[in-house]
Amino acid sequence: MARVARAELQPAASGATLVVMTGLGVAFLLFMAFLNVVKSGNLLNDSNLLYAALIFYCGAGTLYLGFGITGTPSYIRFASFATWAGLLANTGAVARRWYEAGHPPFASIYEMLLMFVWTLAVLTLVAEKKYGVKVIGTVTMPVAIVGVVLMQLLRTEVRPLVPALQSTWLHVHVTLAMLAYAACALSFALAMMFLIRDKMKTETFLAATSVFVVATYVGVLSRFEKWGGLSVAAWDPEQKSEVFLSKGVRLFVVIPDLGWLLLLVLAAVAAPLVFYLVWRKTQDEGWLDIANRAVFLSILLQILAVLFFVVRARDGSYASLDAEGLFPTALAASPFILSGLVGGIFVSLLYLLLLWRRNDLERMLPSADELDRITYKTIAIAFPLLTLMIAAGAYWANRTWGSYWSWDPKETWAAITWLVYAGYLHMRITRGWRGRRAAYFAILGFAVVMFTFFGVTYLLPGMHAYA
Amino acid sequence: MAASISAPRKIWQTLGAIKTGVILLILVVILSAAGTVILQRPATDADEMQRAYSPQILRLLDGLGLTDVFHAWWFVLLLSLVSFSIIAASVQRFRNSWRFYARPYKSPDEAFRKATLSHAVIPVRDEETGLNAAEKVFQKAGFGPERIVRDQSFSLFGERNRLSEMAVYIVHASLLLIFLGGIIDALYGWRAFVTLTRGEQSNQVEPQKGIKRTLPFAIRCDGAGQENYADGTPKRWWSDLSVVKDGQVVLRKQIVVNDPLVYGGIRFYQASYGGTGKLDKLVLTARPRDGQPPKEVTLGLREAAPLDSDTTVRLADFIPDFVVRDGQVYARSNNLENPAAHLVLESRKSGETVNVWLPPIEGLDQNASSPYAFEGKDVQMAYFTGLEVSHEPGQWAVWAGVLLMGLGLALVFYFVHARVWAVPVRHDAGHVTLWIGGTANKNRDAFEQRFQKLVEQIESELKISVKAGANAPAVVLAEK
Repeated sequence: MARVARAELQPAASGATLVVMTGLGVAFLLFMAFLNVVKSGNLLNDSNLLYAALIFYCGAGTLYLGFGITGTPSYIRFASFATWAGLLANTGAVARRWYEAGHPPFASIYEMLLMFVWTLAVLTLVAEKKYGVKVIGTVTMPVAIVGVVLMQLLRTEVRPLVPALQSTWLHVHVTLAMLAYAACALSFALAMMFLIRDKMKTETFLAATSVFVVATYVGVLSRFEKWGGLSVAAWDPEQKSEVFLSKGVRLFVVIPDLGWLLLLVLAAVAAPLVFYLVWRKTQDEGWLDIANRAVFLSILLQILAVLFFVVRARDGSYASLDAEGLFPTALAASPFILSGLVGGIFVSLLYLLLLWRRNDLERMLPSADELDRITYKTIAIAFPLLTLMIAAGAYWANRTWGSYWSWDPKETWAAITWLVYAGYLHMRITRGWRGRRAAYFAILGFAVVMFTFFGVTYLLPGMHAYA
Repeated sequence: MAASISAPRKIWQTLGAIKTGVILLILVVILSAAGTVILQRPATDADEMQRAYSPQILRLLDGLGLTDVFHAWWFVLLLSLVSFSIIAASVQRFRNSWRFYARPYKSPDEAFRKATLSHAVIPVRDEETGLNAAEKVFQKAGFGPERIVRDQSFSLFGERNRLSEMAVYIVHASLLLIFLGGIIDALYGWRAFVTLTRGEQSNQVEPQKGIKRTLPFAIRCDGAGQENYADGTPKRWWSDLSVVKDGQVVLRKQIVVNDPLVYGGIRFYQASYGGTGKLDKLVLTARPRDGQPPKEVTLGLREAAPLDSDTTVRLADFIPDFVVRDGQVYARSNNLENPAAHLVLESRKSGETVNVWLPPIEGLDQNASSPYAFEGKDVQMAYFTGLEVSHEPGQWAVWAGVLLMGLGLALVFYFVHARVWAVPVRHDAGHVTLWIGGTANKNRDAFEQRFQKLVEQIESELKISVKAGANAPAVVLAEK
C-alpha cells in the first residue's frame, strides 16, 4: 500500500531542530565568510554581500521546505526573517554594484540575475504578507538560490558599457523585463499551489515532475559525444569568457565518461515515469509505490551526477573534437547544464515534499479560489509590464539601430511570451477559464518566459549578445 | 434559419469568433518560433546557410519561405488575418458595449434589484433622508451621484471609471495602430547605408539590395572619432554631421550611438567606424642641409608643397604597413604599423628630381643627395564613419499605438467600473427602506468590501444603531 511506503519514507519530524540547525548553519557560514572578509579587508564588496544573501536565502529555503515537511508554523516566521535578511544583503549588493559601475546594474546577464533574484525576493515577501500565501517561498527560494549560484559562476567584474548600451532606455527596458519576469515566476508558483489546493492527484505531479527532470537530462545529453563523453564549452580563465573559434562559434571540449554517468542517471529519473505508466495501465497501487521509491533513488543519483559534473568540469583541460590540443573548461562555461542538474534535484525534492506532506501543505494554503484569483492578479501585473518592456526595447532599438522591430530571436520570443499571456487573458475574460486550465496556461507562460530569458540567449543566434 | 445566413456574413462571424482568434495566435506563435530556430536569410550570409543545411533541405526551406519567415507572403497574410479577426471581433462586440457605455442603467427595477450581487436594505424614516445620506456618502467616495427622477419613482445613481468598459477596444485599436505603422513602414520605409570620410559629402545611400537611393539633400561628415576606456574597449563613437541642401548647411549635429540625426524624416545612425588604410595628413619637419632653420610641411597623398623658392616636395606614396622584397616596396596591411613615405623633391630650375624615402630604403632612396633632411612628425590616417540611414514614416503610428496601449491596459487592469444605486422603496405597510446596490466589472471581492464600507457609512450617516443580536438585523447584506 502507498500509505505504508509514505510512513516509511517520512523523516522524523521534530519541532525546533530545523530552526536551530538552520540558524547554526547560517551563523557558521557567516562566520567563515567573515573570517575571509577580515583577511581580504573589504567588507562590503558585492560578492561578499551576495554571498551573505545566498546564505540567508538558503536558510530561508531550508526553513520553507522544513515548514512544508513538518508543518511547524514557527518555521515560517524564521523563514521570512531570513528572506528579509537575504533581501537586505541583496539590496546592498545591487547598490554596491551600481555605485561601482556608475550605471544601474542591467548590463550583463550577471547583473540582470542580480535584479531578478532581488525582485523575486521582494515579491515573495509581498505574496506572503499581503496575500497570505505562506509556502510560496518553497518554490521561489530555490529559484533564487539557483539564480545566486549561477551568478557566482558568471563573470562578475564590472565591465565598461559598450556604446550601444549607454542609454537610459536600456535601464527602463531591463528593469521592466526583470519586474515582469519576476511577476511571471510568482504567477507560476501560485498556479502550482493552486493545482495542489485544487486536489490535483499527487500521481499527476509525479508524472509532471518526472517528465520535467527527464526532459532536463535529455537536454543535457544532447551534448553526448562518442565514447561516452559530454561536450561542454571551453573556458579561457584569463579572459574569463568562452573560447570562440570564429564569430559566434564556441569551442567545445569533451569530458570523457561523464556522458555514461548522465545516461545512467537519465535511466534512473525515467524509471518513476515508466512505473507510473505501468500503474496507469494495470491500476496496481504497488507500482506507484515503486515509482515513489524510484524518485527517492533518482534524487540520490542526481546528487551524484551534480557532484561528478562539478568535480570534472570545475577545472581541468580536455581534448576537443574541433581543434588540436587540450583546452581548459570551468563551471562558468556551462551554467545551464549546472542549473538544469540542480533544478532537477529541487523539482524532485518538491515532489517528495508534496508526497509526504500534502495535507499540511493544503491546510496552510489559501483556498483554491483565492489562489486562482491571485494568480490572475499577478498576471494582470505581469502583462502590462511585458508590454511596456517590449515597447521600451523597441524604442531603444529604434534609437540605436534605426529600426524598432527587426524580428531578432529575442524580440520574437518576447512577442511570443506576450501572445501566450494575451491568450490567457482572452480565455479567462471572454471564455471564463478558471481553475485548472488557467493554471496550466500560467505554467506554460512561465516556461516560455524562461526560454526567452535563458534559452534564446544561449541557443539561438541574435543581436541580444549581452543579455 | 441557419441556412439563410449568407456566406460573407458567415465569414465575418467566423473571423470574429474567439476560436478563430486563438487559432490564428497559435499559428503566429508556431511560425515565428520556427523563424527563430531556422537561420534567416538576410541576417545570415549565404555561405553560412550552406554550411548549416544540406542543399536539399536548404532548397526545401527556401521554397517554403522558411528561411525568411517574417517577410514571407504567408506570414504577412497571417498577420493580416489576425488584424481582420481583431477588427471583426471588436466590431461585433462593440454595439453591446457601446449601448452599455452610452446609456448607463440608472434606475434599477425590482428584478434588477433582486439580481444585483452586492446590495443592502436599510430602514429609513422617509425617502428624502435616505437619499440625502446616500448622496453624501457616494459623493465623498467619488461616485459623482446624480438624482434620477422617473414618473413613479426617484433614485440615486453613481459610478466611477466608466471608460474602463471601453478599455478593451482601446487596446485592440492600439494594436491595429501599431500594425498600421508596421505596414506603412513595410511599404514605404527603407534602410540603407552610407560611408563617409572626413570632409566627404554624399546624397547617395546604398540599400541592402537594389539600386542606390538619392536623397533630396546631402550629408557631410565634418569629423568622426572613437574614444576608449582605459582598458582599450570602445566607449564612444561619434560623427559630426552636416546636412547640406542647395549648397547651404541647414543642420549640424554630433551623433553618437543611441542618438541619431533626423532631417526630413530620414534618420542617420552611427553604425560603424574604422580606418580606411588611407592617409589623411602627414606632418614632416624638413631640415635644410645648409643650416637654415627647419620648416614644417603638411602633406596629403599626392600633394605638393614648396620648401623654398626652387624646391617643392610631393608626397608620391604612403604605405601604412610596408615590407621590402626583391627591391620592391609592398603593402602588408592597411593598419598603421610600419609606415613608409615616398617623397619626391623637384627643383624648378634644373628639373631634377630626388626620391626620398622615410625611413630610408636601401636601393631606392636617394636621401643622401636631397638638400633637405626629413623627419616624420605626425601621421593622421583617414577614418570612415558608417551611417545607417532609415526612413520609417510609420513609426509615429507605432509609438502612438504603444502609448494608447499603455493607457488601454491600465484601464483594463487597474480601473474598475463601479456603479452604485440607492432606491427608496415604500412598502405596503407604510414603512420605507433604502435599497443600496453596487456592481463592479472586475475585482469583485475587493469591491464587495468597499461596498460594505459604503453601507456602513450610510448607516452612520443615518445614525442607525445596530444592536448586535437584538431582533432582526437592520442590515441585510445579501450575496447571490
